[in-house]
Amino acid sequence: MAAIFNLNHHAPYVHWHFLQMSVSNIVVIVLMVIVFWAAILIKFPTHGMRGKS
Amino acid sequence: MSVSQHEPPVSAPEPASWSAWVRDRAVRTLPPEKLLPDKQPTYVASWIYVFGVLSLSALAVIILSGTILALKGPGWWHFTGIGHFFNSVHLWSVELFFFVMVVHLWGKYFMAAWRGGRKGVWITGSITFLVAIPCALTGYVSQQNFDAQWISTQAKDAMNAAGIGSFFNLLNFGQMYSYHILLLPAAVVAIVIGHILLVRRHGVVPPFKLAATASRAGRDGAGPDAREASS
Repeated sequence: MAAIFNLNHHAPYVHWHFLQMSVSNIVVIVLMVIVFWAAILIKFPTHGMRGKS
Repeated sequence: MSVSQHEPPVSAPEPASWSAWVRDRAVRTLPPEKLLPDKQPTYVASWIYVFGVLSLSALAVIILSGTILALKGPGWWHFTGIGHFFNSVHLWSVELFFFVMVVHLWGKYFMAAWRGGRKGVWITGSITFLVAIPCALTGYVSQQNFDAQWISTQAKDAMNAAGIGSFFNLLNFGQMYSYHILLLPAAVVAIVIGHILLVRRHGVVPPFKLAATASRAGRDGAGPDAREASS
């Protein structure tokens, strides 16, 4: 079954001093941070409903 | 206030049976309007409060897709198109579960969600996270393929080094599969149910008051907790 990315090689890793982490894990962590800040900063739609209930 | 010596003190009558005692206790601890509320405080109208429900939704998909995989077996999930599909649904719902659970954890950590007598909520959430990790890892060694074989032969050394390899043997497929589809999921679901009941009992943790809001609330005699809006 074809994959979107070419998976027929070793996973790329980032080495920085003691830190060693796969690029895919770093991407997921960065995505979690982005989603976390987006959840705080983006306005929730029901804000416009205030006072109508 | 004086109490007449001839009148016994007013108290609730003793329940007639253990079932009545359990019912009375359950309703007193978690009345229906708290168990299934139709209103939430205004501060809940924020995306950061959505991630608990997203975790629950992902968990439901995990359980459902895992049940189908367990019913059909490895020959189905490895060698048929629809089997591949449910295998992928199971994997990606687990990925999503951990993703949204981590965001939920960060949100609650920075809200200090253990405030206001909610330490039980925080502890059950933390234990859920810790139990969910081996639940997922035993899934990797239950795949019945070379990936599972590689992971189990590598991970067994860690278990042996920790001294628990004799009763948690990663090379024992039957044991790992039992852990993955029964023992650990049952533990996760049970703790999650406890977590939700505690959230319903104590309510959603309010955000920290800003200095200006706190002083104004002190003057007015009401804080943000006093306002309510339809959820």
